[in-house]
Amino acid sequence: MKKLQGIAVSPGVVIGEAMVMDTEGFRIPRRFVARDTVEYELERLHQAVSAASEEIAHNRDAVSSELGEEYGRIFEAHLQILQGVQLRDEIEELIRERHYSPEYAVCRVMRRYAEVFQKVQSRNVGDIADIEKRLLRQLLGRRREELSRLTSPVLVLAHNLTPSETANLDRRFVRGFVTEVGGPGSHTAIVAAALEIPAVVGTGPFLNEVSGGDLVIIDGDKGLVILHPDEEAIARYRHEADELRSMAVRLEVLRDLPAVTSDGARVELMGNIEFPYEVDHCVDRGADGVGLYRTEFLYLGDDREPDEEDHFRAYSRVVRSMGNKPVTIRTFDLGADKVPSLPGPEDERNPALGQRSIRLSLRHVPMFRKQLRAILRASALGDVRIMFPLVSTILELRQAKMILADVMEDLEEHGVAYSRDLLVGIMVEVPSVVMMIDHFVEEVDFLSIGTNDLIQYTLAVDRSNKDVVWLYNASDPAVLKLIDRTIRAAQAAKRKAVAVNLCGQMSGSAVYTMLLLGMGMRQLSVPPSVIPEIKKVCRSVTIQECEAVARHALTLENARDVTSYLKGELKKRVPEFGT
Amino acid sequence: MDQPKVTRTVTVANRSGIHLRAALTVFNLMRAFPAKVEIVMDRQRAMADDILQMTTLGAMPGQELILEATGPDAEAALDALALLFAAGFHEEDA
Repeated sequence: MKKLQGIAVSPGVVIGEAMVMDTEGFRIPRRFVARDTVEYELERLHQAVSAASEEIAHNRDAVSSELGEEYGRIFEAHLQILQGVQLRDEIEELIRERHYSPEYAVCRVMRRYAEVFQKVQSRNVGDIADIEKRLLRQLLGRRREELSRLTSPVLVLAHNLTPSETANLDRRFVRGFVTEVGGPGSHTAIVAAALEIPAVVGTGPFLNEVSGGDLVIIDGDKGLVILHPDEEAIARYRHEADELRSMAVRLEVLRDLPAVTSDGARVELMGNIEFPYEVDHCVDRGADGVGLYRTEFLYLGDDREPDEEDHFRAYSRVVRSMGNKPVTIRTFDLGADKVPSLPGPEDERNPALGQRSIRLSLRHVPMFRKQLRAILRASALGDVRIMFPLVSTILELRQAKMILADVMEDLEEHGVAYSRDLLVGIMVEVPSVVMMIDHFVEEVDFLSIGTNDLIQYTLAVDRSNKDVVWLYNASDPAVLKLIDRTIRAAQAAKRKAVAVNLCGQMSGSAVYTMLLLGMGMRQLSVPPSVIPEIKKVCRSVTIQECEAVARHALTLENARDVTSYLKGELKKRVPEFGT
Repeated sequence: MDQPKVTRTVTVANRSGIHLRAALTVFNLMRAFPAKVEIVMDRQRAMADDILQMTTLGAMPGQELILEATGPDAEAALDALALLFAAGFHEEDA
């Protein structure tokens, strides 16, 4: 048994079979083989080499006769490499001496050559990769399964998962994620939360110690991963999983009841979503709307930029499903490095502080206008709101609003339907906005506090860096004061009432619900899966109690004191949530 | 190393060095000779009948290499190889 501590990014507990992904997205079923099967594994390697050789020879002949011998020669080179004594010796040695599986041995040897080639003959790196893939395909045969072609439930263990890997995975069979790198807010974290399955990231290297099919436990509440668990651990976690299920059943009865405090204050509980299908989770949990619809998935994966119809299809699916409840769509919130269709950043040493999000939208206006047009068209179908992320100065807000007005005028001219009264707001996630918040509230219809980035920028902590992530804490008094100031300013707005929402992981944790209500929040946007839990807290408390909690919490001087105080208060009102 | 060793110095003359195709040309030529030929670049060595080893040298245009041959026809093998190097591996394109 071996325990790994990582960062908990999606709650829940799951026990299941491991599926190990290597860095290139190939599924490597086993990394090590038993001593007495070495001869058998060597035989598998030889068969794979001869089958791959046949395939290459066939390609060579086909290409030579079609295009001429000159073109077939590259396959001749592949063939000779594959048959070279040195390559085979190196792979065999890893199997014989280190008991690597043939798949793993092929990867290791070929990757090393790829690295050397990268330095000395970079034009041939692709050839090495090609040979490697061909061998792996032979070795894995029908057992080669990618995330999109699963047939039984698995826990996915990977170094890191790319957006396109997670976008294509078969949702029916993936029950949990563990990645060696990454932090809260990494792509894996967002997808796991969307799928409502447990996930732990940033565990550090461990993939060498686990093989496909091994039993693994993921504890998404504590951020623990247990490899080769003993019987006692299995029994304990089975019990815990049962408890969680029965708790979910008990909370289920709250589905059709409103989130109202026991003294009658109505709280709007909205869902955060990324993928259009998640809107069903919102409807199932009786959400009061979609408080944060992230649109980044539209830009990831494909090599081409999404067109207006791609946007519109996704938005209209969500808006229609929510009926007349509000849907807040956040515009593009990524860096150029993540979007294949944009020119890569030239001088981006510090991406979190670089050209991303609204900054990038304002720089690539045609792309921005495309998204705005689609959002506006969707606004004819329901209560759509538009939200600009990462605004840091009032001029950016004005510029974005100007482009929006321009797109509206354009639609008007062409007789395209949209809602003229669509509400426009910003994410509050940069401390400069909080410092200038009394100006902002006069120019927006709503604010949405994005705590994930607000914490990162306030405390100067990269939440995906495991060495400093311990400093990243929603309970930090500096963060609480910024939230408090934002709410006060919104309440004091002169022009009109400005609603304040809070999205980000903080709103999804029951520990903070009383504090946030006490500070004056009446809207929270949370992952759909936790709506019942947060609703339970709302229905168990009075605003007066919450205000007392907030007053006291705001006098405390460090994050640890805040957290333990809030946990204690929660336990008093909702004993089942006490931990 | 009991057999007499023959050596020759050559220069990489084509435009992009010993890449995969060039290595294949060398490999194909060496098939005709029973001699064992090694290519030495600084402290690295590559067998002239192993494409991967030759490419891994990363020999760039203008690089001086030493060819070492042993066994039957060693002299003839080096003559042929030296011609091939001088002709830039008969590459027409880059």
